[in-house]
Amino acid sequence: MNQFPFLTLLLFLPLAGAFLLLTMTGREKLARSTALTIAVAETVLACSAWFCQGNSSARGYFLFEDRPWIETLGIRYTVGMDGITLLLVTLTALVTVIAMLVSWRSITERVALHFLLILAMESGIMGVFLSLDLFLFYLFWELMLIPMFFLISIWGHDRNIYSAVKFFLYTLVGSLLMLLAIIGVYLIHGEQSGIYSFGLAALTGTRFSPATGLLLYGAFLLAFAVKFPLVPLHTWLPDAHTDAPTAGSVILAGLLLKTGAYGLIRFGYPLFPEAARTLSPLLIGLAVAGIIYASWIAFAQKDMKRLVAYSSIGHMGFVALGIAVWTPVALSGALLQMVNHGLTTTALFALVGMLDERAHTRQIEDYGGLWGKIPLFSAFFVLFAMASAGLPGLNNFVGEFLILTGSFKSAHLATALAFIGVILPLVYTVRLVQEVIFQEERRPLPMADISSRELFILAFLALADLYIGLHPAPLLEILKAPVALLTGGVP
Amino acid sequence: MKAYLELIILLPLLGAIINALLGGRLLSRRASEWLACAVIWGSFAATLAAAIVYRAPATVEIVSWLSDFDFKASLTLYLDPLSLSLCLMITFVCGLIHLYAVGYMKDDPSSVRFFALLNLFVAAMLMLVLAENLPLLYLGWEGVGFCSYALIGFWHTKPANATAGRKAFIVTRIGDTGLGIAVVWMFELFGTESIPHLNQMGHLLPAGIVTALGLLMLLAAMGKSAQVPLMVWLPDAMAGPTPVSAQIHAATMVTAGVYLLMRMFPLIGVSPTVTAAIAITGALTAFYGATCALVQRDLKRILAYSTISQIGYMMLGVGAGAITAATFHLLVHAFFKALLFLGAGCVITALHHEQDIFRMGGLRRTLPGIFWPFLAGALCLAGVPLTGGFFSKDGILGAVWLKGGALYGGLYVVGLVTAFITAVYTARMVLVVFCGDGIHPLPPGGGGLGRGGLKQLPRIMEWPLIPLAILGLCGGLLNLPEYMGNGLLHLFLLSLGSHEQTLPHSTEILLQGVAAAVAAAGILTAWFRYGGKRRQESLAKEQKPAGGIAAFLLEGWRVDALYDLLLVRPYTRLSTFLWQQLDEGCIDDSLDRMASLFGRCGQWLGGRGQGRVSLSLLGMAAGAALMVFWMVWGMP
Repeated sequence: MNQFPFLTLLLFLPLAGAFLLLTMTGREKLARSTALTIAVAETVLACSAWFCQGNSSARGYFLFEDRPWIETLGIRYTVGMDGITLLLVTLTALVTVIAMLVSWRSITERVALHFLLILAMESGIMGVFLSLDLFLFYLFWELMLIPMFFLISIWGHDRNIYSAVKFFLYTLVGSLLMLLAIIGVYLIHGEQSGIYSFGLAALTGTRFSPATGLLLYGAFLLAFAVKFPLVPLHTWLPDAHTDAPTAGSVILAGLLLKTGAYGLIRFGYPLFPEAARTLSPLLIGLAVAGIIYASWIAFAQKDMKRLVAYSSIGHMGFVALGIAVWTPVALSGALLQMVNHGLTTTALFALVGMLDERAHTRQIEDYGGLWGKIPLFSAFFVLFAMASAGLPGLNNFVGEFLILTGSFKSAHLATALAFIGVILPLVYTVRLVQEVIFQEERRPLPMADISSRELFILAFLALADLYIGLHPAPLLEILKAPVALLTGGVP
Repeated sequence: MKAYLELIILLPLLGAIINALLGGRLLSRRASEWLACAVIWGSFAATLAAAIVYRAPATVEIVSWLSDFDFKASLTLYLDPLSLSLCLMITFVCGLIHLYAVGYMKDDPSSVRFFALLNLFVAAMLMLVLAENLPLLYLGWEGVGFCSYALIGFWHTKPANATAGRKAFIVTRIGDTGLGIAVVWMFELFGTESIPHLNQMGHLLPAGIVTALGLLMLLAAMGKSAQVPLMVWLPDAMAGPTPVSAQIHAATMVTAGVYLLMRMFPLIGVSPTVTAAIAITGALTAFYGATCALVQRDLKRILAYSTISQIGYMMLGVGAGAITAATFHLLVHAFFKALLFLGAGCVITALHHEQDIFRMGGLRRTLPGIFWPFLAGALCLAGVPLTGGFFSKDGILGAVWLKGGALYGGLYVVGLVTAFITAVYTARMVLVVFCGDGIHPLPPGGGGLGRGGLKQLPRIMEWPLIPLAILGLCGGLLNLPEYMGNGLLHLFLLSLGSHEQTLPHSTEILLQGVAAAVAAAGILTAWFRYGGKRRQESLAKEQKPAGGIAAFLLEGWRVDALYDLLLVRPYTRLSTFLWQQLDEGCIDDSLDRMASLFGRCGQWLGGRGQGRVSLSLLGMAAGAALMVFWMVWGMP
């Protein structure tokens, strides 16, 4: 459709950059700036996609590439971009740049390898968001896992090897089951139609017997639920987050968690509409349970990173709720909330990382009275904490509110319970703010207020938070067409 | 009209933003203080202009906010008599409070942050009052909550202050869930969030749903307006700087809950269950607050409990369907409560931050400029005839009487008893603080002494009391009973469409006579205990640690301890339990065990193979060959 292979460029530019960085081991400064240049170029590329929205095809993809790849197996290289992808691709590019900036000084060993892995991961995540062929999707799904494994195990702290292996095994078990399910769908579709294909468009509409549908959908759901993560499949996340380097936490929370939700929206529901409807009460239940359970546990945390990690699980519960009810308003709220959570949690992890860099501790009880020492940092901390607690006027509120509005019709009780889940984040947030930012300092720690690099990161994220909180209309407009197509609503 | 409405909201918001970004850097301290005051007075001027050109309810859409599929909530303002009268009061009272704060925060190093938050507070409250749709109201509602959190805990280095702010935020947020659920539910029921539209649809619904919606909103109002059982945050909220207390207790925040119920009354008032629940909550809270105020020793705490009690009266009025009377009391209360808080702030500052009334006395002579306005406020609070507080409270009690029946008859009696207690504690406060000889605390470190060892107050802290005193005393003119002329406010609010009956003149005069007698009896009771010679004796008795019922009242009926036992501690403990026992101990541990089981199986298998690499490689190659074979030829 498009003559210029825009999406291919978007997809493989970071990977090419990663290969380029292979030649730069030992030359730290060069490697760092090359990696950043590539990430920024990728961001420019992603942002320029916003101007391509005019020529939207029937299925809502305004950029689309389709080439044969392994023809004997019906595997094609199919990538496409619609409003949902556009939003997530932009988020990916931005969060990657931020992940590089937050680890600019804190990584001192094997610098080239660190930035190389971040770039490789960016390609993997881009691939997950862009693929419209199940085989291709699976390939990228696994690809993004490997760099993260190394990021945690090489630059992590405390029990880094344990956490990395745990993360790897958890996600691998889920994804292997998904691979089986993908092959199952492929074979059933082939038998029904005589055409063997991994293409999403071809496979959509395949009929399954209720039992088979449930089984296959269950495998998909399991893989996605681990990534979400949904309670009780979440225990890898607090460990992985706590032990990962800051860049790892940022990418994990900002991007990797979104791939599960995205997979459910792009593949899970469209491929198995009946099974998805059957299991939606289960998903709603897990979502609401997760919101309350994780937010409750977050209150008891002593390690700031672990607290943010549990808060992440709670916030992703809202996203799961929005997807589970599958109404237009809730789904667009869920998609927006994925972006919101990406921005706010990235900011929180960056903030904790900055404290860790200065004082080499993440324990809440070591801090206190930061407002008197580093006021600018503290102001940002309060802002992002409030965003995370869902204060109206900031971004998270918009997503949560749309999700709850959209889900009330189909799930009265669950939505009412989720509203209770709106109190709990406030409880742990104000506790965190009080103990870290307010009161008196508890230990004399070396503290300098934020540098201009850190100010840039935080100010950018703060502006994004405020913008989405006050004027989300343009983003919701972009989501309207694809969400309407998916849910059958009227845009 | 549009320009005026935009200015009302935007000016305080702009002040907050400019002060937050530039204050302390580009702006001098003086400039940022005056900017903060100027934007509020500008907002007042805009409100005044809007009032002058006001003809009929106006809706003004400024910009879109949330709009997604059929859901639409934009930044739309709605001006009607109710919101207009509240806006006038808010901007005027907050304007005076801001001026006062310039003097009060004279020596505070972080006054820029203070004024930015104070402006934001006003902006959020105005947003709440002027909101045309419920999500926007919710924005203002939560904004007010955040500002109160940040301002109550303004002196955040002291843990008690930070905790008080946190408590206010969390307790009010608990109530807010009620509003949140009501908001999404109403969207499901009506497909609109516009308040004027929703208010026309009350009778379209089954009674049960209206009742449920009303109770949800009552829950929200309980949080924000500090009603039983969510009143626990307000007494602690006086930990903030005094101008903040004045702003929270008088003009913003606590009136938000009452306002919500008045705003949505056409919808929820359809259900008699809801109105009865509102009235009972109000009467109970009024009684609760008054009894607690009776024994407090901290000057600001007395005023805090009196706020709880007075807001209870407003709720009682709403529950009796008397929107005009409730609004009237809301406005008059704003004047005299702001006056009392600002006066108390003056007293406390003059006494070098002494808040214990038993260490005060004789201030009538040493602080006459504070005494007379404070007395005016106290007369209003006690409901002395012909003051604003007398007429407004009487309007509510009259409406309750008119409702009749066993329930409202009982509530009338509760209201009357509360009025008596109110007169007692108000007179106690005035007598102990301003009369007698006085026990002055010594100023720490000496120096800076003015009259009689007192700290010299800046003039700007004293004169905002004068207009408030005049408004409090003459507030009755706003809405005189029918037999004395006509009620301005009554006529103005008639367009709201509430069908309020009026009492026969003779009954009304009789009821007012009873109210006047009750107030007089209360004041006399206090005089017999604290006046003249008996003062020393009573004070000495009360100096001792309180026991029995006095201790019970002093601790606010021990509700805090109860909640701590029933809610706070179980929540904290369960949180740790869920984390360590369930999450890590059970879920995570079982997975770890599973993993180690696999590990051991692997070791066992590895032992079988005896580490022969060649065998393993052979097996791998065979498997791979088989797969390739199958993929190339085996597939159809």
